Amino acid sequence: MSSLFSREYETVRAVDDVSFEVPAGAKTAYIGANGAGKSTTIKLLTGIMTPTGGSCLVNGVEPYRDRRRAAQAMGVVFGQRTQLWWDLSVTDSFRILQRIYDIPDAVYQRNLGIYRELLDIDELGGTPVRMLSLGQRMRAEVAASLLHDPKVVFWDEPTIGLDLMVKDAVRALVNRANAELGTTVVLTSHDLGDITSICDQVLVVDKGRVIHQGTIAGLVATASQRSVLFSHSGPETLDETVREVDAMLPKATASVTDDHRVRIDYPADQLTSREVLASLLERFEISDCYAPEPELKTVIQEIYAGGRV
Amino acid sequence: MSIVQTLRLTWYMCGVSLHRLVEYRGDFILGAFGFLVMFGVQAALVGALFALVPTVGGWDFAHVLFLLGFTMLPRGLDKMFTDNIWLISAFEIRGGEFYRYLIRPVNPLLMVLSERLVWPDAFGELILGVALVSYASSRIDLAVPAGEAIGVGLLLVVCGALIHFAIKLLLASLAFWTTQSFSAMRSVNELSMFAGYPLDLYHPALRSLLTWMVPFAFTSYYPVTYLLFGQRDLVLLTPVVAAAAVLAALTVWRLGLRRYQATGS
Repeated sequence: MSSLFSREYETVRAVDDVSFEVPAGAKTAYIGANGAGKSTTIKLLTGIMTPTGGSCLVNGVEPYRDRRRAAQAMGVVFGQRTQLWWDLSVTDSFRILQRIYDIPDAVYQRNLGIYRELLDIDELGGTPVRMLSLGQRMRAEVAASLLHDPKVVFWDEPTIGLDLMVKDAVRALVNRANAELGTTVVLTSHDLGDITSICDQVLVVDKGRVIHQGTIAGLVATASQRSVLFSHSGPETLDETVREVDAMLPKATASVTDDHRVRIDYPADQLTSREVLASLLERFEISDCYAPEPELKTVIQEIYAGGRV
Repeated sequence: MSIVQTLRLTWYMCGVSLHRLVEYRGDFILGAFGFLVMFGVQAALVGALFALVPTVGGWDFAHVLFLLGFTMLPRGLDKMFTDNIWLISAFEIRGGEFYRYLIRPVNPLLMVLSERLVWPDAFGELILGVALVSYASSRIDLAVPAGEAIGVGLLLVVCGALIHFAIKLLLASLAFWTTQSFSAMRSVNELSMFAGYPLDLYHPALRSLLTWMVPFAFTSYYPVTYLLFGQRDLVLLTPVVAAAAVLAALTVWRLGLRRYQATGS
């Protein structure tokens, strides 16, 4: 396994001869089913693990070889685990971090100002970290990962267990760092909301190999299932319509939606929308018809289910 | 991170830890005085013994008190700064929390230790140790002049603390292979209690175990026989043993870290 990150391009050559590049300043979602190799890659990139073969560069540094130098330019959140001092308050933890990273006062105060505005960090005040609720603790964790203006942040499940308000705040926080400082973001999350509201790039891994890299729109376009929804003004009942469509288009599957329309799902590699629409127009008095964009959720579910190569 | 920065961070962490002692006052009192209770039992046993016989193998009551007190000094000094190592052996590696020491631009061992410098129990141990040593030496004559006793004695205490630290670190590092080594650490820690009594009363096998295998004898028995009876042969080795122990422990620690980073366990 090897990966390569550089100042302009952060490249990961991960498992099985596959490599990918993440440009500095990009916000990349790292997607894969459980066990696809996400955590391993993040551990390699943060210097927690050493690869058995090959190499990887983050900001021009091999993190496991020159861990301390690499760590200076990185922020890390592992949503399931705390990295703060459990029996100290958030304020104390931040003061320690200021010394660990040698953060100039101006930067420290500016960032605290942002955390006050977005995360209401003062509310956490003098309470020891161990006594914070999950949502409070996660606010402190994400803030801590950005406190030293890192060039890259690795966020592994940063919004796990958070309510919608806090999720939004966390997303706004990292987007702001990216917009103002050009912070590179590598994110893994099972919450698609995180991905769509933070990331512009996706990197899909499966069984240790990168199977897709590009924009989110590009990923959605690869959806193997498309659908068409329609209503018609003919005398047939919905069930009869479904049966007819099934007979007419054997490769597609028809069903009735909750709002009393007929939905046709068809494999993109065997039917085109043109063929589907032509058949429908020929047979029915169409009163309403639309073809929704495939959902990111569906595409990712397919990947997780192993339906894609 | 430069040495100056590292020292500044360490200093700051000492401050944070002292502050924590105030925050967690109950913890502090419990730790410091819990130790006194433990010592009370020990002292009662020794007192009961010397109520029956005036001397045991050339040691009288004051000698034994001196030894008991001196034993607490290196142990207390070590405990003061390095007891966070216990966490590694017990939870951090097994629970997967250890990674957090690796994501900072600071030496991981310093990260581990600085997480909690200045332990409350250590205060009780150090104060009681100093009190016992002072009281005992007012009742007996030392074999070395007072100036030498204090100067060399302090050096021996520091060496002894390093030996305690090394043994703890080495055993805790085993957790990198076994995921936890708490029970091993605890057993060996209990072994250190034997070093608080005259070793010449023990079976030679136990004596050599405490000298050459787990060198707790260099943290108390050899320094004390030098201070009380002027025996110099083995005490001269103390700095060498301390250096060797620390070197061995750091080596095992580094190998363990490398293993952790290779497997990500």
